[in-house]
Amino acid sequence: MIPESYFLFVSALLFGLGVAGIIINRKNLITVLMSIELILLSVNTNFITFSYFLHNTVGQVFVFFILTVAAAEAAIGLAILVILFRERGNIEVDQLNTLRG
Amino acid sequence: MITPLYLIFYFFSALAVFSGVMVIASGSAMRSVLFLVLTFFSMSALWLLLNAEFLALILVLVYVGAVMTLFLFVLMMLRTSAMRWREGLARYLPWIGLLVLMLIGVLAMILTKEPVSLIMFRVLPVAADYNNLADLGSVLYTSYVYPFELAAVILLMAMVAAIALTRTPAAFSKTQNPHQQMAVKVRDRLKLIKDGDTQ
Amino acid sequence: MDNLLSITIAVMLLPLAGAIVAGLFGKLIGRTATHSVTIALMGIVFLLSIYLCNQIILKGHPAIDATLYHWVASGPFQWDVAILLDRLSAVMLLVVSFVSLVVHIYSVAYMHDDPGYERFFSYVSLFTFAMITLVLANNFLLLFFGWEGVGLVSYLLIGFWFQKDAATAGGLKAFIANRVGDVGFILAMAVILMVFHSFHYSDVFAAVPAMSNQTMLFGGHVCSVITLICILLLIGAMGKSAQLPLHVWLPESMEGPTPISALIHAATMVTAGIYMIARMSPLFEYSEVALSLILVIGATTCLLMGLVAVVQHDIKRVIAYSTLSQLGYMMVALGASAYDAAIFHLITHAFFKALLFLSAGSVIIALHHEQDMRRMGGLARSMPITYLTFAIGALALAAIPPFSGFYSKDMIIEAVHLSTTSGAHYAYLCVLAGAFLTPLYIFRAFFLIFHGKKKIHGPIYENGWTTLIPLIALAIPSVMIGGVLIYPMLFSTPHLLGDSIFVLPAHQWLLSASASYHGALSMAMTAKASTPFWLALIAIAISWIVNVQHASIGDHLKSVFHRTYAVLVAGFGFDRFNECVWVRGARALGAFFYQVADLKMIDGFFVNGSGRLIRFISNTGRLLQTGFIYHYALVMVIALLFFVGRFLLGF
Repeated sequence: MIPESYFLFVSALLFGLGVAGIIINRKNLITVLMSIELILLSVNTNFITFSYFLHNTVGQVFVFFILTVAAAEAAIGLAILVILFRERGNIEVDQLNTLRG
Repeated sequence: MITPLYLIFYFFSALAVFSGVMVIASGSAMRSVLFLVLTFFSMSALWLLLNAEFLALILVLVYVGAVMTLFLFVLMMLRTSAMRWREGLARYLPWIGLLVLMLIGVLAMILTKEPVSLIMFRVLPVAADYNNLADLGSVLYTSYVYPFELAAVILLMAMVAAIALTRTPAAFSKTQNPHQQMAVKVRDRLKLIKDGDTQ
Repeated sequence: MDNLLSITIAVMLLPLAGAIVAGLFGKLIGRTATHSVTIALMGIVFLLSIYLCNQIILKGHPAIDATLYHWVASGPFQWDVAILLDRLSAVMLLVVSFVSLVVHIYSVAYMHDDPGYERFFSYVSLFTFAMITLVLANNFLLLFFGWEGVGLVSYLLIGFWFQKDAATAGGLKAFIANRVGDVGFILAMAVILMVFHSFHYSDVFAAVPAMSNQTMLFGGHVCSVITLICILLLIGAMGKSAQLPLHVWLPESMEGPTPISALIHAATMVTAGIYMIARMSPLFEYSEVALSLILVIGATTCLLMGLVAVVQHDIKRVIAYSTLSQLGYMMVALGASAYDAAIFHLITHAFFKALLFLSAGSVIIALHHEQDMRRMGGLARSMPITYLTFAIGALALAAIPPFSGFYSKDMIIEAVHLSTTSGAHYAYLCVLAGAFLTPLYIFRAFFLIFHGKKKIHGPIYENGWTTLIPLIALAIPSVMIGGVLIYPMLFSTPHLLGDSIFVLPAHQWLLSASASYHGALSMAMTAKASTPFWLALIAIAISWIVNVQHASIGDHLKSVFHRTYAVLVAGFGFDRFNECVWVRGARALGAFFYQVADLKMIDGFFVNGSGRLIRFISNTGRLLQTGFIYHYALVMVIALLFFVGRFLLGF
């Protein structure tokens, strides 16, 4: 059987890609949402890996919930994206700096 | 020792990482979404390797079938500009790359560190009649039945919220404004005109 | 017992009542009523004081030591308003109430035209209250209350004519110089509380012999506890009794009304330091060092201030410097452990100095507030009674037998002569020189005022009886009290002051003198054998020659010794020294602290600096708040790396 660290390493790579995606994203806010999906995917993979190697189904239950919440988050995130676009005419991350101190 | 299992693992891992890279590096958002779908597919294959058949299928059906489709719909509705690199990003890119590499390294280190490492656990052979679905269901509907219901409520709320957020204020909808009704004066409604007045 | 206690309380509180009535209702009840009330109250106080004195001293009633009420109770300490009426305080009480009464009566005429008439009487009564509290206190805290009370009233009365700049300045000077002394007093009280855990005289005095060898660390030096307390107390006494170098305020205090100069700055308040040291005799007896210091300071004051008095022109200043010199005598007596002699001189001095001041005041009124002696002269014929009373005061001050000053001063000189405390020889020479100087300056003033050519044009009239009666009332004790009191004060067993004074057997220098004492009269008769007497006579003769016969000699001497003369006129430069070192030093220090500490450090660094710091930090901090998501994500990643790295590397 493939050692668990292989899976964990893949998941870590995906996590890193997700984080990098948020930091170096282009001008599109939707990429940020996709990066978040990547990060969640890597977290889910971790859960499943441990669930498998520890023989504990609870890990999979958590993945189930995370998927549910992620779906809800994606729905609401996209809804917000839509009204943002309606208000400003673009979804460029560079111009979303209302929080600037 | 290269077994077919390893081959499958390497193949789908490589595919997942490659498509992951393409998600953040590709030229257009549409392509990014499609690469994300590919990532999900490959990862679901890895999940199958881990005996999580139900979740692997859910990932493909629900995530790829529903959520990614949602992304595509939204992308179609929005007028997306060409994906340009942010100005000055090239200068910082090596540093960000280094940072991310460090993060990955640290995560890898921490996950394979002795106390956390699972090498000490011997993987038991899976029983021939192991049923992932029954296994998951028996936990989900017993110990986690209330969180399960809550998850359903969260989905409902997400749906309601998404509709409420994106709904354009209907111009033709008939609503009352009690404040305006209370504040109304006689002269707002009635105008006395002298008989024969040209005005 | 109860009876005496309530009388004592009445003596203490009646002047306060007078002060309140005069101060708060003076304008309401009018001038006549004001002085009637205060004088009547002072009269009652005086009569009660006589009664108390009679009971305590003549009838031998035991001393009253009673607590009136608890003032402060703090932890293990309890401070009471409590009174001690023993022989010493009874005598002081009598002197204070008598001089105060006389001054009250005298002020009716002296202050007649003054708009602050009621205020003046209120102050004088308040002063009497404070002084009596000081005298009657049985613990250090109440003593300090009275001590500060007299200081306050002294300040108020020196600056009584507050329209005059010199008066307010003089008041301030007195107040500040007294503060310097008070620092010593307060520190002394602190040490006493630390060492003896009590402010009560009897507790402290009882514990003194056991403490006499104990040492403590003060200012980085190991010193004897008793010596430390005594020296600190001495600093307090130096402030109040105007000893070198804290004497500078007393000449300035002459800006106040003359009755005040007589009451406060000659007869009573300035003797508070003398009284205090005499009261603390059980403490001072155990400290040779403090006694020597008292001797040296007193002797130096006595000599230097006598010298300065010789060259003064202002009539009141001559008497003021004379007071300083006489206080020096009392200090010397204290230093020679002749506490009885010090109190004796205090009493006689109170009478004859008050007499001199009031006589001078009489002259000043007659000449319409002219105080410069150079413009006086030949007043003897116009003002016979004032002439006479001034002469009596001068003779008493000059220690001519059988006037009162002779006995007290002679005893002090004798005590110093016999004393073997270190510094006694120096002190002896100084007081001998003082005995020569005293007649010189006072008779110079006397001759300049009453003899020689009349320099003021127009008629001069003797004052009315309200002025003269107090003069006569003071003249009688000035003549007699020395001869009357010398035996009971110094030679009878027990002494008049009895056990109020404690003297170590080794320090009882006057005991040997008592062998040769055969009565006051014979002492006066044998005065021709004593050096001070001849010195005094020579001084009077010189004074007569220089000031009356050949006035040009004075000018000649002045031009020959012009340097010395300038030094004397400048009062040995104490004022100048204070001005240069303390005032300018303090100003420079203040300016330095204002410029550097206040403006730069507090305003610039702390106040504005903290504001600037916060602005800087927030300006820097807001750079982080770009509003861009990816920047926040970057910060999160860095923080994540940091903490995970910490966890991994285990630091």
